[in-house]
Amino acid sequence: MLTTAPHLYIRRPSPTTAEFTVTTCPPLTVPLRLLLLTLHLARILLFSAAVLALYARFLEPSQHSHQHHHHHNNNPIISLFLAGNIPQFLTTLLQTAHRSQPGTLLAQLTAPLPDWAVALASLGVAYATVCFRLHRTESVLVLRGLGIQTCTISGKWGWGTQTRFIPTEQIRDVLINEAFRGFEVRYYLIVVVEGEEDVVVLFPGLLPRRRIVEAVWRGVRGCLFEGDGGGGEGDGKG
Amino acid sequence: MSQSLAPECNELKERYDTCFLKWYSEKFLRGIGTKNDNECEALFKEYKTCLKKVLKERGIDKLIEEAREDNRENDATLMGKKKCNGNTSRDSMHPFSTLTLGIFVAGYITARWDLVTRLYELAIFAWNYGVVTRAAKGFAVLSLLFLLIFLPVERLATRESDLRDGLIRVFWPADLPRSDLRGVVVGWRNSALDVFALAILEEVEPRNVEFALKTGTLLRDAPHPVSRIYELCGQSAIHILGLVNTPDTVEVDPSWIRVTIGPSRRVPAVACSRASSIQIILFDRPLPGRMQYISLNPIALALDDKHDSFRHEAPDGSEDDDETEERRRKEEKRRLVEKLKQHSIFKRIPSEKEKALVQIVNQVNWAWELEKLLQKNVSRIGTRPKRSLSVSERVVESATNARDMLVVWMWDQFTVYVWPVIKRMFVMGLMAHRIAAEVLLRILEWRVRPKYAALKDISATAQQVEIRLQQFCYWPMQYVTLRRRENDWESVTTSHPDYIRFYNSLWLVANDVIIGIALGSYIIDNAGWVAQQISQLLTEYTVEALQSSISWLMGWPAGLKLNNELAAFLGDLFLWVIDYWSSCIEALRPILPHIIWFIGFSSFAGASMPIALFSDLLSILTVHIYSFYLASARIYHWQLNILISLFHLFRGKKHNVLRNRIDSCDYDLDQLLVGTILFTVLSFLLPTVVVFYLNFAIARMVIISLKAVFDTLLSCLNHFPLFALMLRVKDPGRLPGGIRFELRDTQNFRHSINDSSQELPSTSVIYLKSVPLHFKAMFHQYFQMGHRIRKHYLAPRVLLCLLTGKFVPPLNRKNLYSLQYSMLPARRAGVMEMWNAVNSLPEPKKRMAPVHVPVLANGIKLPTNYRGGRPRVYG
Repeated sequence: MLTTAPHLYIRRPSPTTAEFTVTTCPPLTVPLRLLLLTLHLARILLFSAAVLALYARFLEPSQHSHQHHHHHNNNPIISLFLAGNIPQFLTTLLQTAHRSQPGTLLAQLTAPLPDWAVALASLGVAYATVCFRLHRTESVLVLRGLGIQTCTISGKWGWGTQTRFIPTEQIRDVLINEAFRGFEVRYYLIVVVEGEEDVVVLFPGLLPRRRIVEAVWRGVRGCLFEGDGGGGEGDGKG
Repeated sequence: MSQSLAPECNELKERYDTCFLKWYSEKFLRGIGTKNDNECEALFKEYKTCLKKVLKERGIDKLIEEAREDNRENDATLMGKKKCNGNTSRDSMHPFSTLTLGIFVAGYITARWDLVTRLYELAIFAWNYGVVTRAAKGFAVLSLLFLLIFLPVERLATRESDLRDGLIRVFWPADLPRSDLRGVVVGWRNSALDVFALAILEEVEPRNVEFALKTGTLLRDAPHPVSRIYELCGQSAIHILGLVNTPDTVEVDPSWIRVTIGPSRRVPAVACSRASSIQIILFDRPLPGRMQYISLNPIALALDDKHDSFRHEAPDGSEDDDETEERRRKEEKRRLVEKLKQHSIFKRIPSEKEKALVQIVNQVNWAWELEKLLQKNVSRIGTRPKRSLSVSERVVESATNARDMLVVWMWDQFTVYVWPVIKRMFVMGLMAHRIAAEVLLRILEWRVRPKYAALKDISATAQQVEIRLQQFCYWPMQYVTLRRRENDWESVTTSHPDYIRFYNSLWLVANDVIIGIALGSYIIDNAGWVAQQISQLLTEYTVEALQSSISWLMGWPAGLKLNNELAAFLGDLFLWVIDYWSSCIEALRPILPHIIWFIGFSSFAGASMPIALFSDLLSILTVHIYSFYLASARIYHWQLNILISLFHLFRGKKHNVLRNRIDSCDYDLDQLLVGTILFTVLSFLLPTVVVFYLNFAIARMVIISLKAVFDTLLSCLNHFPLFALMLRVKDPGRLPGGIRFELRDTQNFRHSINDSSQELPSTSVIYLKSVPLHFKAMFHQYFQMGHRIRKHYLAPRVLLCLLTGKFVPPLNRKNLYSLQYSMLPARRAGVMEMWNAVNSLPEPKKRMAPVHVPVLANGIKLPTNYRGGRPRVYG
């Protein structure tokens, strides 16, 4: 429900410029938005729990040194934040969270585990919650007279997107190829680049289905080359 | 005041200038002496005669005459065009020539009267036979045909052709100042529908701008040759591209663009009467003063593409197995690429626009500096108001001049007397150093025979010394190249990678020395303790551990029943050698503190030196393990070979060496008997040899991995891209890794231009951005080295070698160090070359007293802090 099979969006402000985006993100309806919101909240909660567990195990000063802090309410925390004293604010916030009921529950839960297990688990959870992305989006931007630009995501857990621009002068051909992948045959778009050993695969992470690939191929041919609207239909598949 | 052409006329010119300025500011501007009352005329005449005389002396007057003649022609053509446009009629003919013509016609008619009568008869005849009506009919049919068929076809064709070349591409700096004022866009016209905006000249007339561009007024006062701009930007002239914020009523050239911008509008609205679709490509101009630039290809941090050939040309007949394999794979790939090339049937011819991309990248890099220059010269367009300095300003000027004069005088004294001496001494020191380095390098590179290993191939220390010396030899050359950069425009980007490389290597060496000083002082202070630790480690691991493991193997290790006698023999053999070695180490022990002290002292030349020395020390002090490994591997390998051939004998076969196959063979009975007995004996003795062999092989592997750690440390100290990393964090614009385009949503853009009444063609707004160099690309060399090491040592081939007792070859030093040599040129510059380079350095510019030039603003008053673009702070 949260993701769909890869599907295509086309943005084409003028006939000579087009962006083809293949994404696994379904159209955003209200229930889906709500679901995504809860998911994000859960991520934030998990992340803060991981941070709190780390704090409680390794950074918390001795238990009884700050008994007199108990009757502090929320106001000083906010005033600290407004005053711009961020480190103080963070430590106070963590202390308060640690002394609250969920905090003590968390401390009790993690108490039987050894130090290294807690550290590894919380670091892993924190990393996963920060880096996990639900949807994958890859796009190809075609500009007549300039070239093709691919935009891909480095990996499921990766951070940034990677772009590569291929000038038209270097593009020898754009074609659809087929290959075995496991027990299936996949059709994929490739750009043959002049003077380069490897071909460039478009949408390498998602490898969308043939219908999408053909639509993109037609669009790219029509947009990129002046004068021929996808001239060699037959020789497209090699 | 500018100097006159001829020095002898300087005085006259000055007098005339002062007179003129006085008259201009005091009378003309106040409207007193608008009539040309000739108070300066006499002075001007004097100056003119003086100048003429000089010109004649030098033979320039003829040139001037020619130039004037040229100009007149140009003016004539220009004026002629204008007249045609202006629809002025020509004068009527001269009355005399009309009269002559009349007399001629009358005379001709009377002389040939019969011709006239014949013509008359012919006309009567034609009328009688209906020739005229038929001709009229034919004319009507033809014109109908023309109207019905040819005109629509022609219309269609023009519209089609309009559609075909209807895409105009506009490169527009996103950080140009945006104001509501009218203006003229100037820039490069790469092809008819491909324009690159450089600057908006505000409140000027297009006619004046055109004239100024033709005469080169707009590029006056350029700090460096202007031809360089045209050469690098690939165009021969700057053109007017269009108008800014002009009402539609103004007629413009059809190839010009109309741009509407304003302070609230981020993206300019562009219209062009010849274009049906528009690409606006916005970009942020890189700042040449900060050495930012963009490029299509990632910046090369290493001096690339030459250490490959460097490796190949090495006098090394027997190349490695992995190298041959690599070559084979490359060959295979090349064949595949050939096949792929044959696949594409037709080759498209790239259009003008597509070929312009490289130029455009250069133009982007130049955009900032050129705009500054153009804006500086805007005030020269059109009429030129001037004003003289007021009294207070004069006072300030003379005061600053007096102070500056003193500074300049002192500076002159310094540059004339002190500086050359210092410079000379420095250059001599440099040359002496260079010659010493040459001698040392010759020693390090000397080979007994061409195929033999040189000193630098054997020892890590020699290698390290060689790298440092090579760097010292390369630095002056690099520095000279970088100094030449100062005599060129800042936008020339070719030397920026050199700059990064130079400072990276300087910084690495400085870092190395700093770490080395810390390490060295620690080692020297604690030489005794360090020496004791090392000797303890030596005895513990290279002597006692070996002894105990050998005596363990001589008993029945881990319950294995080995052959007692053979184990005792081998064990004793090794133990004797170890005993002897330990006595050697004992002899070494008293001088060990001195060696450690020496190592500590050497680390003042950088932390890499002690590491290299330790690496060499490790190889020397574990030479016995190496020899044990060699011996046991040999024994094991022989035994294995003998066993295999005896096994063939046991089966009644033998290995045919000539055909490299197994043939059956008829053995005699005694041969079979002896062979079988030997086979049994040897196979029972095999486990004993195997355990000894394994013991030493493991020790050898441990030493190899230790040395690998040392080598990695060395390569980190010598080649870590520290400067590049810092630049990447501080200012990613200086490390371009390619370009990237970003399609902007045009929905709100369209919405925002709705207020203007005109219908805009379909427009796409694209942002051109520079991609900073990827971290992976910075460490590319490291990845390559790691890959090479992994392929060499963690391959199944190595395991096979270990199992069969073949010698595992260590990784070629050259492969391992290709990383470090990638910062150095393949061939170092010779001593004489360096001498010439150092002496060819341009002299430092003389510091002139700053001349105060008042800023002249034309038309509009600019704010005092106006800098033409968004305010930026140089840092």
